[in-house]
Amino acid sequence: MSIILVGVNHKTAPVEIRERLAFNDEACLDGLRRLVDGNVVREGLIVSTCNRVEILSATTTEQMETGAGRLAQFLDAAGELPSGYLNKHLYRHTNEEAVRHLFRVASSLDSMVVGEPQVLGQVRRAYSVAVEAGTAGRVLNRLVHHTFRVAKRVRNETGIAANAVSISYMAVELGKKIFDSLKGCTVLLIGAGEMAELSARHLINAGASQVLVVNRTEETARQMADEFGATTVPFDQLDKALSEADVVICSTGAPTYVLTEQHARRALERRRNRPTCFIDISVPRNIDPAVGNVPNVFLFDIDDLESVISSNIREREREAERAELIVQSEVMQFQQSLRLMDVGPTIGALREKLHEVARSEMARQRKRLGVLSTEQEAAIEALLMSTVNKISHPILNQLRRFYETTESDAGLPSKDIFDLEE
Amino acid sequence: MRSLLATVLAAYLIAAIHSILAFINKRRSVQRVAEWATVAGFILHTGALVADWVIDGHYPLFFLRETLSFLAWALVAVYALVLYRYKAQAVGAFCMPLVCALTFAALLANTGPSDAPASFSATRLFPIHTTLLIFSYAAFFIVFMASVMYLLQERELKLKTFGAIFHRLPSLSAVTELANTAAAVGLTLFTLGIVTGMVWSWARYGRIWHNDPKEIFAFLTWLLYLVLMLYRLTANWRARRAAWLGVVGFALVLCTLFVARFLGGYHVFGLNFWFLSYVDHSCRS
Repeated sequence: MSIILVGVNHKTAPVEIRERLAFNDEACLDGLRRLVDGNVVREGLIVSTCNRVEILSATTTEQMETGAGRLAQFLDAAGELPSGYLNKHLYRHTNEEAVRHLFRVASSLDSMVVGEPQVLGQVRRAYSVAVEAGTAGRVLNRLVHHTFRVAKRVRNETGIAANAVSISYMAVELGKKIFDSLKGCTVLLIGAGEMAELSARHLINAGASQVLVVNRTEETARQMADEFGATTVPFDQLDKALSEADVVICSTGAPTYVLTEQHARRALERRRNRPTCFIDISVPRNIDPAVGNVPNVFLFDIDDLESVISSNIREREREAERAELIVQSEVMQFQQSLRLMDVGPTIGALREKLHEVARSEMARQRKRLGVLSTEQEAAIEALLMSTVNKISHPILNQLRRFYETTESDAGLPSKDIFDLEE
Repeated sequence: MRSLLATVLAAYLIAAIHSILAFINKRRSVQRVAEWATVAGFILHTGALVADWVIDGHYPLFFLRETLSFLAWALVAVYALVLYRYKAQAVGAFCMPLVCALTFAALLANTGPSDAPASFSATRLFPIHTTLLIFSYAAFFIVFMASVMYLLQERELKLKTFGAIFHRLPSLSAVTELANTAAAVGLTLFTLGIVTGMVWSWARYGRIWHNDPKEIFAFLTWLLYLVLMLYRLTANWRARRAAWLGVVGFALVLCTLFVARFLGGYHVFGLNFWFLSYVDHSCRS
């Protein structure tokens, strides 16, 4: 059996093409049933996300070329594109390369943002659709389960998903670095903005217990407060709110500084010097940079966040190199297990054949032995079978080892030698 | 019991190497090896100390060799507590190499004449005095480590450039709490240690203060940690200055522990290091 993977991703095809190809679950189900014919394309699975559309399938080794052509045609048809139109965008991987590609995709090494967690869920979903369509067979089942294992290993053993790479998530990361856990922390939002809202949501998910909202227009503040179950604070009570807040996120449209060093000093005094994290995501800046000079105040403006993010991305890339090593070793393991899977039936058939020869010889000679007790009968049977097993054992082992170590599955004479039919 | 101590050193070395690797790689499996090696080393070390006690007939904390070994043992014990209570694995990467160094030095150092400690061990107070102090030094080392971790991270947060170490250290509040607890425990033990020493000295010599360098350093150390504690208690969380005190305090601890020996005086006894030939000159007086 051979594994083929054909598809496009964000690196090979522009969004205009990807969007034409995208499959929803139903289209997937439908497409798989049409594509998998049990002859050329034996098994199939479609991974469709906003960054990639890929078809994974299993064919017999002889029909690999035909199968790959069939998959490309299928994609052309799915995008309602002329035949061959996609060729310059498509990548095609077979066997080891296909396995490696799938492992990398699921481990989020091939993603736009390395380490993003969604893609594994998308592969999981693609698999469950394939199972529903009945197009995940012996090979793909094994491959996909191995893929999940690899993705889990990469996640656990490398820091590829550690460290925030989005502005909205930085607040959580900074909060954790300062307060250990955000449980019971108070968040203060000054001004309303999408980014501030998103940050607040992340903070709440991470355990922040109270959200305060200050806005010049009370209407907007109330609206936001309703969304989070937050408390609105009138603008003239900003000082009090500041003294309660562990994390302050500022994003007003004001052209000047809303928070000055004086604000920060007063707040810290009332907090008995407990540290605070000020995050200023507004441009022009709303928090006076001098606030950063106050002890136990950690101020980050939008540029600081960006630079931390880019260093985090570099850190992720370093971790990705380690992840590639894991993928490499897992690919080799999988290839070996696949070869063993191929050899399993052959060896089984061989052993069966030998037993059959022994049994038929026994049947021929049985008459000459006269009447035997059941025990004697069983003893002869056992003698025969164990002799056959003992003689064939080293040969079968040799055969198994041969399959394990040879790269290709061509040139195996066993079937012909023992006159086996498939 | 030298061969046993060498085995202990081997276990600690494994623990130290794996702690450092775990610190760099952030791998849980490596960390687990480090922890098991630490536990194994600690059990063996305890065995070695007990064996010393039984064989030599005196509490195994008198000569320099014993002091170094005992200090290493106390450090491991304190580190294990920190690990258990705070999950601050990063401490191991710095603590275990020191433990290795101490154990190694203990292996190199010689034991002095065996009649000297007998007169000290006669009273129970003396071993209690030394044990309390050794544990307080171990606690102060933890304060020092937590303080350094705090200062490093605080600096990076203020400068907004997060280096490789940054992501591998426990959070600011975690190291602050660790430093606070360790300082409180350390100060308590230190105070008790000094008091028992005074009582012992009163019983033996009829005076509690001998005006020797070690006592002066100890007094300064005690004062500094007292200030540190008061500071932490009153100006809750003004952690940076407290962290600096934690660093300076440890320098004083080192002076009390080692430098004072070279300055001579009443507390120099049981000293028999290969490059120092004067033994017990003052306590015979």
